[in-house]
Amino acid sequence: MQPRNFILPVLLACLPGLAQDAPEDRIYWLKDYREALREARQTQKPIFLEFRCEA
Amino acid sequence: MSQYVCVRIPRMDDVDIGLFDYDRNNTLYFFILNADEQIYMRYGGRDASTDTYLHLSSLELALEQGLELHRRYLRGELPRQQRPQPLFPRQIPLLVERTLARNQCVECHLIGDYQNIHREREGTLDKLIHLYRSPDIQTLGIYLEVPLGLVVKEVRGAVQEAGMKPGDRITRWNGTPVWTFGDLQYYYDKVDRRAERIRVAVARGGEPVELEVALPPRWWWTDLGFRQSSVDPRVYFESRPLTAPEKRERGLQADGFASRVSSVDSVAAMLKSHELRAGDIICAVDGVERDEIAHTPELFIKLRKTAGQTVTLDLIRDGKRMQMPLRTLSMSFRK
Repeated sequence: MQPRNFILPVLLACLPGLAQDAPEDRIYWLKDYREALREARQTQKPIFLEFRCEA
Repeated sequence: MSQYVCVRIPRMDDVDIGLFDYDRNNTLYFFILNADEQIYMRYGGRDASTDTYLHLSSLELALEQGLELHRRYLRGELPRQQRPQPLFPRQIPLLVERTLARNQCVECHLIGDYQNIHREREGTLDKLIHLYRSPDIQTLGIYLEVPLGLVVKEVRGAVQEAGMKPGDRITRWNGTPVWTFGDLQYYYDKVDRRAERIRVAVARGGEPVELEVALPPRWWWTDLGFRQSSVDPRVYFESRPLTAPEKRERGLQADGFASRVSSVDSVAAMLKSHELRAGDIICAVDGVERDEIAHTPELFIKLRKTAGQTVTLDLIRDGKRMQMPLRTLSMSFRK
């Protein structure tokens, strides 16, 4: 198993609008790629896709 | 972030790894794309350390650039990318046999490793491409101002000779637009390992500048220490090539890879791999003294031998010639 990288998840939580103490601004992560495609098509937003090895 | 649809994929089972191609030895990796599965950029990448090139500021920059690229896409200003051939984990037989069939998680790094084992069995493994993945830009002399993405902080060696300067922002790598370090490392990895030159475009004071960089010998070499690769013969020693006078003095071939052992990992004795000592001079491996690529015995073994194979070293210890067996070992990649 490789060493896990804890740096970026911490950084992500620090991005504007992602503060953990502001629930209304917290990032909402989908877990289903197909659902993300559908939502992106409906909203015309781009997709931010994270691959994270949690094993 | 509210301007993005965010999705987190912790398991690779149903992922099109042909489309989402990246060095699987990254534990975190990001793509910015659109609903048509057109990839705008990658964010991630690493060297021997996992987080050398990760920074909140460069991530914010990437997210801003992603939004701009998306606006351009919606306006029809970006060329459409050709989708790569789809490839799913279930199409890799060893991965099916050892993970999916056992209902185990398809870990990212296992995908790369099983692909390589499969290639080795098929005879299609090219270690320069498949083992030495993600070449190190510092070998070219590029040191980035990491928080600023692809802004160059310091230049040395090959890129300095090509005219790159601190403050330049790298915009294209061998013809392909790059926005992030993830992009740069990905497209650097795609460079033909036998290439001698690459084209690099930078923005300097707002003006585009084209550079042609002469690639140094073994530019593709990277530290494999962190990779759990089963096709990498582990040798547990390091050596430094002898100088030309040192070779001459000992009657060794001038263009050979004779090298002095500089360090021996204690694991070597524990696993009964070999009995090398620091200071030993390795002159040949299985009678071979030179190689068109390798400049040290350990690189020769890694490139030309398979993991688990035993080789014979010709060496000089305390001025005396001798032979010694060396059993290479294979990394176990399962937990």
